[in-house]
Parts: sequence; C-alpha cells; structure tokens
Amino acid sequence: MNQQQGVQMRGKRGKKPIRPGTILGKAVAYLVMGIFAFMTIYPLVWLFFSSFKTTTEFRTNMMGLPIDWTLENYRSAWKIGEFDKLIGNSVLYTLGSTVGITFLSLLTGFAFAKIKSKATGPIYGSFIIGILLTIQSLMVPLFLEVTSIDRGIGDFLRSLGLVGSGEFRLFHNTRFGVLIIYIGSALPVGIYMCTEYIRGIPSAIIEAAQIDGAGYFRIFRSIIVGMSKPIAMTLSILNIPSLWNEFALINILVSETNLKSLPLGIYKFSGGLSSDYGKQFAALVIGMLPMLLFYIAFRKQITAGVSMGALKE
Amino acid sequence: MNGTATKAAKDRRAYWAMVLPSFLIYLFVFGFPIVLAIVLSLSNYGGGKMFGGTSWGITGFRQYQRLFADPYFWNALKNNIYIVLVSVLGQLPLGFIFAYLIYRKTVKFEEFWQGVLYVPAMISTIVVGILWSIIFSPYGPIADTANHYYASAYSAKISGIFQTTGGLSDPDELTDQIIKASPSTINTVFSDPSVDLKDFLLSYEPGDTATLQKDLVNLLAPRWNADFLSKNNVAMIPICFVTLWMWVGTYLLIFLANMQKIDRGIIEAAQIDGASEMQIMGRVVLPSLSKVIANSAILCISGSLSGFALILAMTGGGPARVTQVLSIYMYDKAFMGAPDYPLANAIAIMIVLFSLALVGIMFALERRFGGKE
Repeated sequence: MNQQQGVQMRGKRGKKPIRPGTILGKAVAYLVMGIFAFMTIYPLVWLFFSSFKTTTEFRTNMMGLPIDWTLENYRSAWKIGEFDKLIGNSVLYTLGSTVGITFLSLLTGFAFAKIKSKATGPIYGSFIIGILLTIQSLMVPLFLEVTSIDRGIGDFLRSLGLVGSGEFRLFHNTRFGVLIIYIGSALPVGIYMCTEYIRGIPSAIIEAAQIDGAGYFRIFRSIIVGMSKPIAMTLSILNIPSLWNEFALINILVSETNLKSLPLGIYKFSGGLSSDYGKQFAALVIGMLPMLLFYIAFRKQITAGVSMGALKE
Repeated sequence: MNGTATKAAKDRRAYWAMVLPSFLIYLFVFGFPIVLAIVLSLSNYGGGKMFGGTSWGITGFRQYQRLFADPYFWNALKNNIYIVLVSVLGQLPLGFIFAYLIYRKTVKFEEFWQGVLYVPAMISTIVVGILWSIIFSPYGPIADTANHYYASAYSAKISGIFQTTGGLSDPDELTDQIIKASPSTINTVFSDPSVDLKDFLLSYEPGDTATLQKDLVNLLAPRWNADFLSKNNVAMIPICFVTLWMWVGTYLLIFLANMQKIDRGIIEAAQIDGASEMQIMGRVVLPSLSKVIANSAILCISGSLSGFALILAMTGGGPARVTQVLSIYMYDKAFMGAPDYPLANAIAIMIVLFSLALVGIMFALERRFGGKE
C-alpha cells in the first residue's frame, strides 16, 4: 500500500496526473463484485437454513429463517440415503486414488526426468495428449471395455471350472475398478506436474548418490520423495476435491448401492423424492459440507495449487 | 565394459519398472477406450458379447452419416457452443477483471473475495445442479418472491380500477379496465374475456366488492413464469448462468496469482509515463498474461465440453431434449432406452475431435496474438 502511494506521488510529477480508481470507479467495482459474492453465498446460506425446515414450512416460509428448527430431515435423509455407506465409499475412493495418483506420478515422473531413455519422448508425449482429452467423453467406450473384459474373463474362468455360474466382477461394479479408473484419469496431469518438478532437482545430487552405490529405487525412496513433498502436496490438494466430487465416471462404473459415492448417491436419492424438499436439502448440505470444511482447512494450499493453472476439471 | 553393460541393463529395468505401471493404467483408461470408440463407431455392434457372441462387423461411416442427419445432434452441438462461448467469453473476462480490480487494489479485502468466489468450485456439480434447479423451478424461491410482489402490485391496481370506474355500477367499463390490466393471464382464465369476465363480475352482489377484488387477484394476478428450465427458447440460460457461477472464481485465482508475478517496476514505469489505468491493463498486464489466458481458455473449453453432471442434474437434457449437450446426447444413446453403442461411440469421437479442434484454435490464436512472456 505504501509502495503504491509512493508510486502515485511520483506519478503526479509526471506528464499527466494519475487517478487510480476514482470514487465512482471504486463504487462500481465494489458493487459488481459484491453482487457476485452475494450470489455465491446467498444460495448456500439459504440452502443451509432451508434444510432445517419441514417441507410444509418450506412451502409457506420459503425465504425466512426456520420457525421450528428440526433435525428430522437429516435423520431420515441419513437413514434412507444410507449416507454412512456413501461417505465411507467416497473416503475410500478419494484417499485411495489420491495416494495411488501421487505415488505413481512421482515414480514415473522421476523416471522421465532423471533416467535417460529413448522411450521417454513418445510415452511422455502420449501422457501430454491425455491432458487435453476429457475422460468424460470416453465414458461409453470405457463402460463397454470394463463390462466386456469382466465378461470375457468370467467366461474363460468358468470354462476352466474356476468360478461358479455367478457374475464375474473385476472392473465393473467393484471398488477396485473405480480406483483404477480414477487413478488413470488423473495420471496425465499428475505425471506432467511431477516430471516438470523433478527436472528442477539438481542431477548432481542423484549422481552423488549413484557414486555411493545407490540404485534408482533407493534414490527415489530416500531422496526424491523427500524433495518432492511440495509437488506431492499440491497434487493431492488438487485431486482430493475433484475426485470427491466426481460423477460422470462412477455413474457408469457402479450400479450397486453398496458401492456408490456421495455425489452418485445424492443424485439417485434426490431423483427419488422430487417434491420432498426438506430431505433433499438435508442431503445437499451433507453433500457439500465435507469439501467446504476441506476448503476452510486448506484454503491457502488450494489457492496456491489452483493458481498454478494445472487444475483440470 | 561388462560393468557398464549390466549397469545399463539395470537402469533400463528400473526405468520400465517405474514407467510401465502408470503407462498400462493410462492405456487402460485412455488409450484402449479411444481405439474402441473408433472401431465401434465404424461398426454395427449391437451390444452383447464383444467377442464370440453374435457377430458384428465394420460397416464404414454409416454411423457418422446417421449422426449428421439427426437434428438432435446439431441441437446438442449448438448448446455445447453456447456453453463454450459463455465459458470463454464470460468466465475468463470476468475472472480477469475481478483479479485486476484486486491486483490494483481498487477493491480491498483480497482474501475475502478470493475465498468467497472460489467456493462454488469446491461443491459437487451434482449438488450445485440440484440446488439451482430447485431455485429456478416454478415452486422455488424466485417464483415465490416474485409472485408475492406481483400479487400485491396487482391488488393495488384492481382496487384503483374499482375506485375510478365506480365498481359494479358500470360493469362494461369495469370489465374493460380489468382486461387491460391483466394482459398476461386473462386469456388463460376466460375463453372470451369481454363476455365471460362480465358474467363473472355480475355474479357477485354489489356489497361483495372486497371479496370480488380478492378473488380477482387470486385468479388474474400475473404469475412469475419461472419455468425457465422447461421453456424451449430460454432453457439454456439458467445452465449458462450456473456454469458462469461455478467457475469465475477459479479463473480469478489463476489470473490474480499470475498478475502478482508481474514485475512491479514495469507498471511503475508505465505510470510515470502517464499511462491510464486502462492502458496499464491493456498494454502491460494483458500481454504478460497471454500465455496464462490461452492455457486457461484450453482448460475452460475442455471443462465446458465435459459439462455433463451439471446438465444431468439440472434438466437431464430436457425438456424434449432441448438442453442436451453432446455428452448428454451420447449418454442418452448408450444408456437410456435401447442402447445404440455405435452411434454413441461416434458421438464420443466427435467430442474428442471438437475439443482438439478448439484447443488447436486457441494455440494458433495465442501464437498469432500472444505477447512475449
């Protein structure tokens, strides 16, 4: 601020006086941004308060605070929607794939950045192309792929008499399938970020370790992992919300209630009771609360990570 | 010599052990589906076993011909272009302007704006979609507020008319005035207003004017036509609005962080030379961010092309498929009703080509007009 005032004073001695934002300009700026901020906060606050109204009260008192605060919406939504299962699944999918993505990105990024190989050019290039592809556009072939593979393996094992006549599941309708596909969907960005980051680590450190007789795995474990903590942190911070909120893929990968994630569960739940607003609102609040808390806890890191421009929706 | 050979072999083994797991997963999730999409889009695969079941074969570009002949494809493409335009011409400029206002300290409380405007990006698209579809619905809060307002305004109008015309003593004039005052609803209530409304008015006793006025308000007060999401010509507006709502904050963060990297000295020098605020923005800040803007545009385009969950939750592509975008159209063909996998795969390929083309255009524009880093 001081620096800027200094600039303005120096500016006044220049050819033309500078007016960095007249009162009117400031007022318009505050107004426009204020309207946007209001439009952001108000619907969420409204949703929050509405979730404590009964559906009858919501009909008659749509905009005001609840008169009779009730937790009944939450109680019955939690039970009907089986939110304990949904949240458990979401935690597993999110944390499991985040760990997988971060580990594989660091490992592969290290190989691309520090081990010389002719294969790096084409393989790294193919990952870069993956950054430009949106995985959602491939959901139909992906669905056909996982179901056909499951059926093919099932038929084969059945012909050998290794499995019974039931449906064989490896990728479709399994937690394993969701994890593998989530990991794969985020690998291009992860590998790109890690490769560029590890390239910045001086090769002299690695060469010194090699002279001491350390192999690449040892170097990875004892040097690279430690030095890559910032990028691993950024990558995780960016992936956690986008995986937690993911919908398009899990929607085709999973049809069993036991395996659903929170967004998929909420979508099905809300489709089932279109006019029971009280329970719907409770479900929506349950759906957004975890990531809002995550945001409050990691706001600094999220802001820094997003502004790296590497976020991909 | 032998030692170096084994070392090279060992290095190679380490390299592949580190690269192969990722690469295989990548091929499984991206590579193979793309190949499968290309093959199936050229085939007549009708579901069922892919290998060893009912036979299917390559039939050439028939699916693409069907696709281009389908008006719903062009409708979905048009909606997709709307969303891309709103994203690129709405999210980016607004994000840039907000970032600039914060950067130049025209508005204070940097942390507050950043914190608040980014919140929507943290919420699940499904939750956002359901929330806004309730807000915009004819039973939602916008409609509720507007109808209260309309009803009280209309009630005042009606009592004014009763005073000026002398109420039921001059039924013809009263009928006339009421018809004029309720253009939007009168024809939905009465089939022949000038006759039917007069009959209706005369069915009340002269002493009942208070009841009559109340009934008229209930019958004829204009209603907020909040049924946005089911009116064909405007159904995309709420979707575009929510798209904007969700992502402005993201670009605000990206641009602000990159503005803060600009050398302050350049801006000070420009100010000393008498540059106006607009000139600083246009000639200094904008060019030094051109690469970031191009990258953001690419992010924005690929994000808006995959905008699947939001529309599924808000309208499901309805009413009558007017809000379908390509991804919803594809989903519909594959998973709703009788599956049409070859066509759905042709759509997948079109989405991929479309996004690569747009990204290519962005690169070309950046190269042509972009400033130096």
